[in-house]
Amino acid sequence: MPGLQPPDDALLSALAARDLGALAALYDRYGHLAYSLAYRILGESEAAEDVVQDAFLSAWRGAGTYRRERGTPRAWLLSIVHHRAVDILRRKTTFRPAPLELAEAQPSDDDTALTAEKNVEHRTVRDALEALPQAQRRTIELAYFGGYTHVELSELMGVPLGTVKGRMRIGLQKMRRALERTR
Amino acid sequence: MTEHVLDELDAYALGALDRAEAERVAQHLSTCASCRNEAAALAEVVGALPDTVPLREPRPALRDRLLEAAKADVRSPVRGAAARRWSVGAVRPWRLAVAAVGAVVIVLGAADIDAYRRLVAVTAERDAYNKTIESIREGARTWYMAGLGSFSGSGGTLYDPRAPGKRPFVLFHDLPPIAEGKVLTIWLVSPDGTWARAATFRPSGEDIQVIEINSEVAGFDRCAVTLDDAPWGKHGTVVMESRIAPPTPAP
Ligand SMILES: [Zn+2]
Repeated sequence: MPGLQPPDDALLSALAARDLGALAALYDRYGHLAYSLAYRILGESEAAEDVVQDAFLSAWRGAGTYRRERGTPRAWLLSIVHHRAVDILRRKTTFRPAPLELAEAQPSDDDTALTAEKNVEHRTVRDALEALPQAQRRTIELAYFGGYTHVELSELMGVPLGTVKGRMRIGLQKMRRALERTR
Repeated sequence: MTEHVLDELDAYALGALDRAEAERVAQHLSTCASCRNEAAALAEVVGALPDTVPLREPRPALRDRLLEAAKADVRSPVRGAAARRWSVGAVRPWRLAVAAVGAVVIVLGAADIDAYRRLVAVTAERDAYNKTIESIREGARTWYMAGLGSFSGSGGTLYDPRAPGKRPFVLFHDLPPIAEGKVLTIWLVSPDGTWARAATFRPSGEDIQVIEINSEVAGFDRCAVTLDDAPWGKHGTVVMESRIAPPTPAP
């Protein structure tokens, strides 16, 4: 149904012009994804909701500073959500127990989680991530969802920093190729 | 130009660098197109990771809460005609007082409208204004940047609230218009003289303008604004700068 909905860029321009309807539309489009991401990082619904509200308000106030060349509006919005959620996670505790088992358990999850969209692109990303050797996948998941820095990961996983960097590099490049094939 | 940062770009894209490392990378990206292109491609891959997360619906109340807060933001007089009305014929300290009240609203959260109204009532008095400033200062670091040359008479205060979930922002007053195609850049300057780009924007034409800083900021002790030809590359003329490291006295 392309053409029926205003594109993201138009929504962001409207946001910069203080159009509340655009904020509502942007929230309806990405609110659940933003919340799902924040929940995946923080593991609790209240904190996740606070992050989402905070991130959308920040987009509302900062839409004028958004630059297209740094990424799509969706990526921009999700990066604000990610940034804030990880910020809170890092502040909450200096030592975070390794959520390795948690990461393993995530795909089945509990029954309050909705079944993920049967969207081709979503499937591709999930398949690409799951197809990675476990060490690469864990490194990427612990960095992105666990909020660990590469130095912390090197200690946590007991491998040299160069190995952590290599796993990130190879894993992301494989995902990149998988995504490019579908676009 | 600093050394290429290709080795750090994967961790940078995943948000897995500490602040100092991330700043160094961001600084290099502001000057290097090839690293920037690679960073953008990686950001797109990382931006797909949220699609692997099990979808959950937030409570419907969250939508209402968000829109309420945004609405309160619109009504907040610092952003609209009311800010202009107040400042007509006013002397500079008074204008700064209006700016300070705006900052309080943002630091407290726009929903706290009653507190905001009380603050508006007290800022008519210079003494009360100073007290207001003190309360803003609780925990927040501020830098005042005075306009230079064609920007004299304008200024901006950088607030670093340092509270969970609050981002730093700059509250500008009296920004003059700038030529078509030009942009203003806010820079954070570290003690060793490294300049890190914090935000790029154009004046809105309003008396008061708030620019939020989304990038990581840490370890800087001065800030400045430059008038540039583009949001990348080497910086142009310095049009505003903080002269004193914090804590700065109220202007
Ligand atoms: Zn480079």
